[in-house]
Amino acid sequence: MMCNEWETQLNEYVDGTLAAEARALVEAHLAGCAGCRAAVVELRALVAGAADLPKRIEPARDLWTGIAARVGKREVRNGKRWWRTALAAAATLVIGFAVYRLLPPFAAHYRPVGEGWLAVEAQYEQASDELTRALATERDRLAPATVALLERNLAAIDAALRESRDALARDPENVELRGLVASAAREKVELLRWATRVAT
Amino acid sequence: MQADSSDLIQRAQQGDQAAFEALYRAHVGRVYALCLRLTADRARAEELTQDAFVRAWERLASFRGESAFSSWLYRLTVNVVFLGQRAGQRRALRVFTTEDPAAFERPGDAVSTVAGQLDLERAIAALPPGAREVFVLHDVEGYRHHEIARLNGIAVGTSKAQLFRARRLLREALSK
Repeated sequence: MMCNEWETQLNEYVDGTLAAEARALVEAHLAGCAGCRAAVVELRALVAGAADLPKRIEPARDLWTGIAARVGKREVRNGKRWWRTALAAAATLVIGFAVYRLLPPFAAHYRPVGEGWLAVEAQYEQASDELTRALATERDRLAPATVALLERNLAAIDAALRESRDALARDPENVELRGLVASAAREKVELLRWATRVAT
Repeated sequence: MQADSSDLIQRAQQGDQAAFEALYRAHVGRVYALCLRLTADRARAEELTQDAFVRAWERLASFRGESAFSSWLYRLTVNVVFLGQRAGQRRALRVFTTEDPAAFERPGDAVSTVAGQLDLERAIAALPPGAREVFVLHDVEGYRHHEIARLNGIAVGTSKAQLFRARRLLREALSK
């Protein structure tokens, strides 16, 4: 019979995760406790038995048919189908905008009104980075279809942001272009915010 | 393994279903075993195996070869299993122990080996879910506690406590 108060240390001893000092204490206890020595033998046999279990078990029926039916509609992606990709990006941008319109207003400090342009850009970058990191840790809580849609929307918004920024770099005083950049940036933050809220 | 070749993976990433089926044939036994041991439910394990491969297909583009494809696939499978549990999508638990021993039968194994392993499989299947999941991942699959903690959304200390509880319950069950 194992001493209850030694259960954790004996398990760690068997796993080889004890520091030298703790290991010495366990070995000193084992020297005088037949019950714990027997428990260590049992634990080692159990751990070895578990590791030796077959890693493969074939399912009783073929599962491929059901999988094939679900993956059959995925399109082949290659560089030559650029026009299809462009159409998809345009479509997801529309979806993204629709999602954005459904969202509640975001915090006012992400809006460019009354603030310097550099400050607005910095705030957007910070919010975007924070939300992207938060989403990265929680994305597995989202349904695969949601993740796929989210990624397509973010890619479309990023593309719009790049184009707007490139245009603004060529014409820095263009107020309309600033508005476009700010709008796309706000859209991305709102979408990330929505996704992290849904995922958590 | 031929089916693990980068060629098959690249073709599957391009949308080649035949290549993906070859990957499925190569890995389904391991994925199903993982799902079966984590859930102790044959029907649920079949569903989750299909879900895992569908998700792998959807996310193939994100596989960049930093780890082995098999490691990537098995971690994705664990995520699929835990995601299903978190979302509360599990049906009424259909735990089998001695009522459904055929789930773990492996034709061709030596009788003496099978007897001992079946006892262990049944005892694992009868564990409480939390203890079973950690035991399967740590002692059967070789994951470390920090990995289990991250995958399962629990603390490292909780993972250890569940493992030691599982081992205690298994020793009791196997000594009867």
